[in-house]
Formats: sequence, structure tokens, C-alpha cells
Amino acid sequence: MSETNAKSVCAPRFLTVATTPVKHAKDMKLSKVVPPMKYTRRAFVLYGMGAAACWSARRLAAQGVATHRAKPLARPAPSGRPFNAQFADVAADAGLQDPVIYGGVESKKYILEATGCGCAFLDFDNDGWMDIFLLSGTRLEGSPPGTTNRLYKNNRDGTFSDVTGKAGLHREGWACGVCIGDYNNDGFDDIFCTYFGQNVLYRNNGDGTFTDVTKSAGLLNDQPRWGAGCSFLDYNRDGHLDLFVSNYVRFSFEHAPVPGENINCNWKGIPVECGPRGLPMGRHSLYRNNSDGTFTDVSHQAGIAKSETYGMTVVGADFDEDGWPDIYVASDSTPSLLFMNNHDGTFREEGVVRGVALSDDGMEQAGMGVGVGDYDLDGHLDLFKTHFADDANGLYRNDGKGYFDDMTRSSRVGVETRYVCWGAGITDLDNDGYPDLFMVTGNVYPEVERKLPHYANKTPRAVFRNLGNRTFEELVEVAGPGVAAPHCSRGCAFGDFDNDGDVDILIVNLNEPPSLLRNDVSEKGNWIKVRLEGVKSNRTAIGARILVHYGAGTQAQAVVSQSSFYSCNDPRLHFGLGASTAVDIDVYWPSGLHEVFKRISANQLVTLREGVGRVKNRGWSKA
Amino acid sequence: MRTKFIGAILLCVSPAFAQQQKENPLDAIRAALANRDFDHAVELTRAALRMSPNNARLWTFQGLAFAGEGDNSNALVSFKYALKIDPDNVGALAGAAQSAYATNKSAEAVPLLNRLLRLRPDEPTAHAMLAVLEYRLGNCGAATAHFEKAGEVLRSQFDGLNAFGMCLVKLKKLDQAESVFGQALRLRPEDRRERHLLASLEIMTRKPQNALATLKPLVDDADPSADTLQLASAAYEDLGDTPKAVETLRQALLRDPLNVSLYLDFANISFSHESFQVGIDVINEGLRLQPKSADLYLARGVLYVQLAQYDKAEADFEKAQELDPAQSLGAAAEGLAAVEENDLDHALATVQAKLKQNPNDPMLLYLQARVLTEKGADSGTPEFQLAFESAERAIKLRPTLAAAREVLAKLDMETGQYKEAADQCRKALASDPQDQTALYRLIQALRKMGDKEEIPALLKRLASLREEATKEEREKYRYRLIEEGEPAKP
Repeated sequence: MSETNAKSVCAPRFLTVATTPVKHAKDMKLSKVVPPMKYTRRAFVLYGMGAAACWSARRLAAQGVATHRAKPLARPAPSGRPFNAQFADVAADAGLQDPVIYGGVESKKYILEATGCGCAFLDFDNDGWMDIFLLSGTRLEGSPPGTTNRLYKNNRDGTFSDVTGKAGLHREGWACGVCIGDYNNDGFDDIFCTYFGQNVLYRNNGDGTFTDVTKSAGLLNDQPRWGAGCSFLDYNRDGHLDLFVSNYVRFSFEHAPVPGENINCNWKGIPVECGPRGLPMGRHSLYRNNSDGTFTDVSHQAGIAKSETYGMTVVGADFDEDGWPDIYVASDSTPSLLFMNNHDGTFREEGVVRGVALSDDGMEQAGMGVGVGDYDLDGHLDLFKTHFADDANGLYRNDGKGYFDDMTRSSRVGVETRYVCWGAGITDLDNDGYPDLFMVTGNVYPEVERKLPHYANKTPRAVFRNLGNRTFEELVEVAGPGVAAPHCSRGCAFGDFDNDGDVDILIVNLNEPPSLLRNDVSEKGNWIKVRLEGVKSNRTAIGARILVHYGAGTQAQAVVSQSSFYSCNDPRLHFGLGASTAVDIDVYWPSGLHEVFKRISANQLVTLREGVGRVKNRGWSKA
Repeated sequence: MRTKFIGAILLCVSPAFAQQQKENPLDAIRAALANRDFDHAVELTRAALRMSPNNARLWTFQGLAFAGEGDNSNALVSFKYALKIDPDNVGALAGAAQSAYATNKSAEAVPLLNRLLRLRPDEPTAHAMLAVLEYRLGNCGAATAHFEKAGEVLRSQFDGLNAFGMCLVKLKKLDQAESVFGQALRLRPEDRRERHLLASLEIMTRKPQNALATLKPLVDDADPSADTLQLASAAYEDLGDTPKAVETLRQALLRDPLNVSLYLDFANISFSHESFQVGIDVINEGLRLQPKSADLYLARGVLYVQLAQYDKAEADFEKAQELDPAQSLGAAAEGLAAVEENDLDHALATVQAKLKQNPNDPMLLYLQARVLTEKGADSGTPEFQLAFESAERAIKLRPTLAAAREVLAKLDMETGQYKEAADQCRKALASDPQDQTALYRLIQALRKMGDKEEIPALLKRLASLREEATKEEREKYRYRLIEEGEPAKP
């Protein structure tokens, strides 16, 4: 080893020859310089060691997902600080008892069964209480009875009623992502769902029912596609919500390989479902809202179509604070994409140079979910991206110009690498004024745990409590039984379903009922929630950026229609305030209007209408 | 090369010229030299020098006469006398250089040739000789420049071509080296070693089809050697024809079952195709025949790591080190296995224990830096400092250790030393231009420095590397190795 350039672990086999220094004439003899057997052997050993320890920068595709790995950082001593949020799973009591069917339970034949789906908090009836929309998949052999996406109406007493049938939302199939937004500005939030096959746009009729308007809106595919993430956003700032859809892989049952069939169908030597590597990448789509209830595919002219990745969750937000929405696409086993808005209807993709496409060592990662928020209270939108097992999730700090620094190590988020991670958020769970991180987990290979028990199928959720010094502390058991309980989870949505001034969490569990983690915050910190209503801007105010100024600093949040994993959060932005009892608020509306609201008292919901100011809240009190 | 150079010097003493000038004392010497009567020429010069001891031309002729006799030591003495009298005497310079070259007095020959080239910048033989001398001194940069100016003189020189080719390999000018070795092989097509060398280069330059064509005469032989088959196997594998690669390697093993490297190559292919258990089975067979091979234990350990069988891996790494305590690879591998098992504390303890025995082992120092970095040592802590110092020492001990440069670049980035980080990345890229990590970090460092001019080109390069890697992977993983009787699909 001492005679070898260790970097040759990353190099093609024969490169060792070229990089071996020749210091003396005698070394130039053929037998000494190029003994083919010798360097072949040495290269193998180094190559193997490199792979063994994830030592090299060389990318290996010897499995279906990105092989980038990170070692868990050493865990610092516990802070000893009490965590004032406790999560209990109240789904069953709340009436969320039907399982989310998604593929095989004991094993998965195709990747389609494994990636799962998202969920949403939305207020479809404008009563001021968060309702729930849960997506569902199906099974290869056919759907069990009762399988469908489900809409649950909030009964305002901690329970929900299944109104799926009444709402006209019964649907079977491989649903993936959901995004919510009022695309026709009629005052009622509409639903867009991505599917393997054909995506669906549901128009909210305002009377508790929805109509599938996919065809009339011009959103029918000419051939089946695997729609994955989606986001409503007003990319051209005309006041009408456009639509971005990421597509995962080009998949067909006829051509898909089966477990063990090729090298992309193995994981740690165990045959598993194949992909995404080895399958053709999806091409992402941007649909412009024609302001008349229809959309036009502008993917090519907008510069979106040329970037193909295994796209997953989509977040639309103004990352460089130029007033125009940008688009971030977490991508599995390919570089994640950051489309920067050129202000002329086109985008330029700059994920790599802006530091959010690859790991800090320049490698592709299995990007799944995305949390967006401001963890360091500097007034800029940061990103938290979840990854596969044996890799760390990524925390990226925004400098305010849309350039990001990978803070995974310094923030101590990198202490956790055990789980396959999905839905995630940057949100203040304990109202101490410092946004925390939350993520849900679950394996994609249920069969693996039978041979490798440490890669369990069902795994716990995790809270990363913000210590207020740009570092986090991982909490599992101490955050309550709802966090510690193992499940095979995918999407999750953050919202205050019981309107008690904190953040609860809705979680999709594959082939189990969902979890509804009720947050019970003790020793309450103060908080404020902000609901925006666009006038010149799109009515849902998607794309708006809010700065809330309080004692701990300035916290930025954005109204987005998808984040976490394929999911949509409560549109009322929640800010924990700690000891602060009043705040100043800056609102940057998508239209370009900037409004300032001074000395707003804490512990209330504030509804702000564009150009009008504070207006009466809808709902809120239980009375 | 020698004959041509002497010939060039003797042009002025051709027989015809000697015949015409026979009355002059110098003419008699010229005539003797022209007639290759070197003994007589020596006698004549001695007599003439008694009369004219300060005649540089006489000393030169004497040197030529001695050289003609094959007495290069005396020739060098004579030429040196000539040069004392007339330092710019081209004939004497050429002769002295030739004699010094012939007597392996490189230190004397180099300045003489340089002086000669100042007077005759286009003298191809002088360039050729200087090239070989520079090559012998390990100065491939200088040697290559002279080889390129030697022109036709080099074309018929097998050894010279070899030296030229070797230098080009060292300078990573692989395509040019391939051409030069091709010329050498045309001079000696029967040279088996030269053929192997050219084939190796063709594989290095990703022309496995050419490599197979080069090897064909040897492979078609009634009894091809295991070496030849091993190289052909590598070419087949690079060509994407894994079945042929495996079959060829199997033939090599039948011919030379005790050859450890063949088992390792087999394991290499198994590794590449994620057929780890097949690789282990082949290594087991090798260990049955070569039970004392540290390399085989080491390789099997690597394969066990892939299957997450860490206990077996660690036992193999220990055994490898027991069998070959001199090499640090076993120790390093043991540390790496612990890293793989996410046991960084164990990894660090292992590496540090081995460092106590070999405190100046650059690989172990690099590993120490890497593990400390992986553990998340924070800037300003003793652990961070140790990581930094270890990486620096590793690089100092082995400047080509690009992986250590990567660690250093990462640490530099964390402490805001972007310029230093960029420097390390550039050096790492010089060692391995395909290093995506170094390239990515360089982009980020330049971005931080506000130096954005170079970034677009680097982004293109990174995208191209990724595309290339993806393509390679697609080809590489087309096959999976199975043992006979094992079903093709689970």
C-alpha cells in the first residue's frame, strides 16, 4: 500500500500505472513498471477497500439506489434540556383507521410498490379547520376492498369523518404526490394528485364536492407516465397558479426487471426490487395556467425538459429573494435540481453550483423529501433533504442569494444514518422560537430485514431539536411514543389539526393506517400563525415569503404547495416565538407587493389579505 | 544511435577527402580514420601531438581514434584536452559526449550535450542521447522534449523508443505512449513483453479492442501463457464481454494454478459484478493452493465486507497482516472494515494502534485524518487539529496521495480557507483528473472566493465526468457471475 497512490481506489484499474512515480532509470524497465498481474491485483484490493468503506469518490452503481454513504457523526453528550413537545399517535381515536394500501407487505417486486405516497392538510370547506387528504396505492394483484384515496373532514373535536365518497374523490391506483392550491382563484382549494399512469386535477366545487377536470384542463398524458412530486406555483407572476410535476422513472410492467435480475436489483447482496438506477429517468413538466381553467405544457420552452432525473418531491419558493419563484426538485440517485427563475418564462438549472444538487463530496444521493424553512433565523429559506439509509440527510443553509452551504456536519444532523428517510419538515415543534427538524422513515426493501435485521422495515421517526446555536440534537423516545413508534412511513404533513397553537403531524404508513401525531406542548412558548390571501397574487398566496421578526431573530417561511415527501402542509404558517409576545411581519407577495405589519400580538392566527391588511379569520375557535 | 553520431562527426574525414589531402600530416590521420585504421590513427596523432600539443584538432582526432577502438575512457580524455584548448570545438564536444554517454558518465555527458546543442540546436543525435540520459535520471519532462526533437534518429532505436514511451506513460500522455510503443513493437514484433506492454496501454487508453488485436498473435499461440490470457481477460472485461473475460481467466488459471494474481483478478471481476460470494469461492480455491498468501486473505476480507460479514472480514485482515506484517494494507483494511460497520471509534483505535508501529505510514496517517473527519471533529478542537496535521503529514510523505488532499480540502473548506482548499483540489485533480469530489469541491471553493470565471467550464467537466461514469457503470454491470448450478434468477 505504501507504494501506491491511495487515490487509485477511485481510478480505473490501469491508471495505477500512470500515476506510479518513476524515480530511477532502472524503474523504467518493463518488468518493473508494467507488470500487468501486479497492478491488477493491487487495483482490486484498493478498489475493494474503497467500496468497502465508501472511501472513494468513485460512484458505484452496484445497486438500484445511489451508493453514496456517510458515516454517522459522533453523537455529542445529551444537552439535558427538556423538550416541551410530546407526540402521541391519535389516528385511531380520530377515526383514521383505514390502511394506506401500497404494494406488497412482505416483499416488493417492483419499485412502484416501494416509493409510496403523500398526504395533505387542507381546508377544503373553508371552515378554518384542517381537513385531511390521504393518498393510496394499490397492489399488483389488485386492490383490496375499500382501497382509495381518502378525504377526511375535521369534526372540530379531535375526530374526522371520511367524506371521500360524498366528495367524489374515490379513486384506486398508484397515487404518489399531492399539492393543494386554488388554481382557478375561486376561493376554494383544489387538489392535484400525481399517479403512475395519469395524474388527476380535482376542482373544488365549493360545496363539499370535487370534479375531476384533468381532461378539460388539458392535463391528460398521451401515454402513461410516473408523476411523482408536484407543486402549484405562479412562475410568471400573472396571478394564476401554474403547475410543476416531477416524473420519477419511465416504468412499465412489461419491461421492468424483477428482483435479482440485474445489478440494479440487489442491495447488499440481497435480490430486491430494481431501480431507480437502470430505469430511464423521468422528464419533468411545467404547465402554464391559461387563466381559463386550462393548462399548456411549456416544459420545453421554459427550459425544464432538458434536465432529466429521478425526480421526487418538488418545492417552489423564492430562494434567491428576487421576487420570482424558483423550483427545487429532490431527485433520487441523480443530482437534485434547482431551477432558477429567469423572469421571462424560462428557468436555468443551477443545483450543482448553488450547492444543493450533490453531497458535500460531490456525489449523487437518494433525495426523497424536502423540508423548507429557516433554521438559523437569518431570514432566508433553508432546505432539509432526506436520503437513503447509510447516508446522512442534508441540511443546506441559504445565504439569501440562493447559494447554499451544506451544514449537515456542523449542525450535527449527520449523527443519524440508519434509516431510509422520507417526509420531513423544518418547523418549530416546541414553540421555543427555534425551528426544529422532523423526519419520517421506513425501508423500501421489506425482505431485507429477514437477512439483515439491522435494516428493519419499520423504523422510528426522529426529531432534531434546534439547540439555538445552529446545531441540533436528535430526539426519539423523549419526543413521545408517537415519534418512537416504528412504521414504514413515507409522506407527512405538518399542521395544527386541533387549532391549539402548535404543529401536529400527519403521516402516511404503508399498508397500515396513517399516524396522526398530536403535539402536546407543555410550558408553552408563544406562537403566531399567519394565513395569507392573495388578491392580485394567486388567491392561495403560494410563493409568498414572510419574515417574522421576534426576540430570537428573523424567521423566514414561504407558502408552498408541496414539501416534506409528496405532501402538503397546513397553509397557515406557524412561528414559535419562545418568550416573545409580539412580532413584526414582512410579507413579500408573489405579485411583488411588500407589506409590513408591526407589533402583532402573539398566540393568535392572523389572516392577511393582499393590499388590504388584517381581515377576520375563518374558523379557529372551537366555539 | 552511437554509430550515427560517430558517423556524423567523421563526415569530414571521408576516404575521398583523405585521398585528396594526403600530403598534410593531419591528412594522414584523417585517412587512417576514414579507413577505420584506428590503431594507426592513434599512433599518428601521438606523433603529431608531440610536435603540436596545443592543437585541438589533433586531440579530437585522437579521441575519435580511441573511440573507434572502443576505448571510450581514453577517447574521453583526448576530447577533454581538445575542449580545454577550443571549448567550442563541435567535433570534440560530440565525441566527448558520446564517450561519456558510452561509459555511463551521465553527469559528464549531460552538460557536454547541452553545450553541443547550444552550438547545434537541431542536432538530432545529441537530442536523442540527452533524452536517454535525462530519462535515466528520471527527468521525464526534459527527456520527452529531447525525444521529440530526435526525429528520425529515434525511429530505429528500440531502447530509445522504450524510454520515450515510458516517459510518456509517466507524464500521462497515454495516447502518445501507445503510438511510441507501437513503433517499438514494429521493430521487434517477436518481443512478447513489448506486446504485453502495448496491450496494457491500449487497455489503459480504453481501447480494449486494440489490445485484443495486439495480443492476438500470443493468444493464438498453441500454448498461450497465463500472463497473456490474464491481459486478454482484462481486455474482454473492459470491452463488456464478461463471459469471455471469465472464460479466458479460467484458462489462465488452468495453466498457472499457483498464480495468486489470477485469483485476485477473478475476485476483481466478481467484485465488479456484485457477485461477492462467487469471488469468495474462487479465493477459497486459491487459498487451498496458496495458504500463505496475504493478498488472498486481504481480498477475501474485502469481499466479506460487501456482504456485511464483518467478523469474517476482520479475521481475514488480521490473517493478512500476520502473514505479511510489512505491509500496512491489512491494518488499513481492518480499520476500513470497522468504518464500514459504522464503528468509527473502533476504526480510529485500530488505525492509531497500527500508527504506533508505523508512525510514518502515509496511508495510516490519511486514514486517521479521514476517520476523525468522518466522526465530525469540529474546527478548533484537538481532534480537528490532529486530522489536519495527519492529512498534511500524509501528503508530505506522499505528495501523490490524492485522497489525503481531499480530506485536507474538506477541512480547509470548513475553516474558510477556500484558496488552500482550491489548491488541494487542483493537486488532487492533477493526480486523478476524473476525481469528481475534488472537482466539486473546487467549484464550491471558487464560488466562495467569488472567482466565478472558471466555474462554467468546471461544471461542464463535472457533468461530463458524471455522464461518462454513468455510461461506464451501465456497461460494467451488465453481467452477474453465477456458479455452475446456481439459477440465473433468484
